[in-house]
Amino acid sequence: MRLSLSVRCWLLLLLLPASGLAALQIGVVELPLWSLLSGQPTDALPGQVFWQLRLPRVLLAGLAGASLALCGALLQLLSRNELADPYLFGVVSGAALGATISSLLLPGLALALPVAAFAGALLAVLTVLLLAQRSNAHGMHSVSTLLLTGLAVSFCASAIASLLLYQADSFAANRIIFWLMGSLSRADWPAVSILAVSLLLTLTLCSLGRRQLAALAWSDDMAQSLGVAVKRWRLLLLLLCALLTAVVVAYCGGIGFVGLMIPHLVRLLFGTQILLLLFGSAVGGAVFLIWVDTAARTVLAPQELPLGILTALCGSLFFLLLLNRRRSPYES
Amino acid sequence: MTDSVELLQCQQVRLQLPGGFTLGPLSFRLCAGKIYGLLGANGAGKSTLLQLAGALKTPQAGQVLLKQQPLQQLEPRVRAQQLAYLSQQQPPTNMTVHQLLQLGLLPHKALWQGDNAADKAAIDAALLQVGLGSKATALLTQLSGGEQQRAHLARVLVQQAELLLLDEPVNHLDIHYQHQLLATLRRSGLTVLASFHDINLAAAYCDELLVLQQGQLQAVGTPEQVLTPALLQQVFGRPCLVDRSPFDGRCRVTFAPESQ
Repeated sequence: MRLSLSVRCWLLLLLLPASGLAALQIGVVELPLWSLLSGQPTDALPGQVFWQLRLPRVLLAGLAGASLALCGALLQLLSRNELADPYLFGVVSGAALGATISSLLLPGLALALPVAAFAGALLAVLTVLLLAQRSNAHGMHSVSTLLLTGLAVSFCASAIASLLLYQADSFAANRIIFWLMGSLSRADWPAVSILAVSLLLTLTLCSLGRRQLAALAWSDDMAQSLGVAVKRWRLLLLLLCALLTAVVVAYCGGIGFVGLMIPHLVRLLFGTQILLLLFGSAVGGAVFLIWVDTAARTVLAPQELPLGILTALCGSLFFLLLLNRRRSPYES
Repeated sequence: MTDSVELLQCQQVRLQLPGGFTLGPLSFRLCAGKIYGLLGANGAGKSTLLQLAGALKTPQAGQVLLKQQPLQQLEPRVRAQQLAYLSQQQPPTNMTVHQLLQLGLLPHKALWQGDNAADKAAIDAALLQVGLGSKATALLTQLSGGEQQRAHLARVLVQQAELLLLDEPVNHLDIHYQHQLLATLRRSGLTVLASFHDINLAAAYCDELLVLQQGQLQAVGTPEQVLTPALLQQVFGRPCLVDRSPFDGRCRVTFAPESQ
């Protein structure tokens, strides 16, 4: 029997706090969760582990998963392409280039890597948007231009990063390679708050512009004839996606396939109503990444598995399954 | 002409498309409350003209005025409150009929405004007008071609604009709905500029006809003034007979079949 839509929504919503609590409980150090949360005095160590390590990490996992899935859903809507993904704009390659340069120039500075990665990601995205805008002025179709430009910039940035790494010593190369595999071990409160604010901002804008988004998802001409300022809205939404992804990549490295896979699942389960798709993707992405990160830090404990490896593994298998029973809503 | 208000005015508008086709320069005006039919062979520029009038394309010379204001300078949302456009082919979408009609209300909504009972009433009324009262929750992709076209027409009606620009609105419709929809438009008192391939349908429901040939306006006027054998032969390349319909006395055109 198929559950009704509202029941499915409630189940997904309940899954989020349940997953969060479970993930807080699971770990190398056993935590007295109830006494910690209710403020009873406990030993110093569990308290420190909880407030400084486990809680920010679980929150960051949820926020990063929500951000990536939301950006994926938004970009798939805006580009009307099911294969769009937040990493499409060359964000990861740009971030990798930034991280590489910072590791080679300032190997000792801990903060240099996320800052440089963020700058690199943002630079790549702005390059893509600018180049795509210019070709649009020459009358090319906007969406495919964007996808192709993103691909080209991505390859260009990776090539430069690879060249630098090829010349560099193996220590720096290792550091970059591990960072690119993705990890939440860098989680701290500043990261959590920056990402929370960016995510909230994007969700608010999506809620306000739900009608504009529905029109843009349909066709540029229809949106324009309905009075949507097409260029302004698209640029604003793309910039927000890019910012959000850049923050995630800077802190967590490359976590692939979340932005591609979660919106697909949500579309299958919840249909294509815009707000349901966006919020469902955010919640689904959060739940997914919380569990994957829990697995990443416990399966081979005390050793940690890189997050990106797990998400890519899940994602690619899932994708092959999906291709097997493909029924695209964008094909008539 | 003196008693009617000028709604849209094209002044020496010219547009060259990337393929080399040039529309215009041409000028015409649309007065409030009238139905205008746009006729012409394939590739004559009917769709391009409608897109220019709908601000989807910008002319390279001349200008389009909506109530004396340059169309391109209007805020998009304000423009869409006064002018609705329906393209010839709708890109496929996985919306339901109700969601499609909600989009028609977009120009009238501020960002923070929700949907209310009046919106629902307006949507239901528009669906009844096009005979889709029972299909509100159906997915567009599950409807037949004619039903989809009617849903899109209902979306245009919900938009509550004074001026409707319709690119082949009766395309895909059966005979019953062709007449029913055009009669609905006539009764609505709205101003309509619509392209047609069926000249007799245009003659039966339009106040004035505009005839395009290779990007140029060949004739503008009432069906009686415009539909002459000489002009039709020139535009469509076929000899024809023009007489009166026994039902309403309006022009009726019969083209000579290709000799076999």
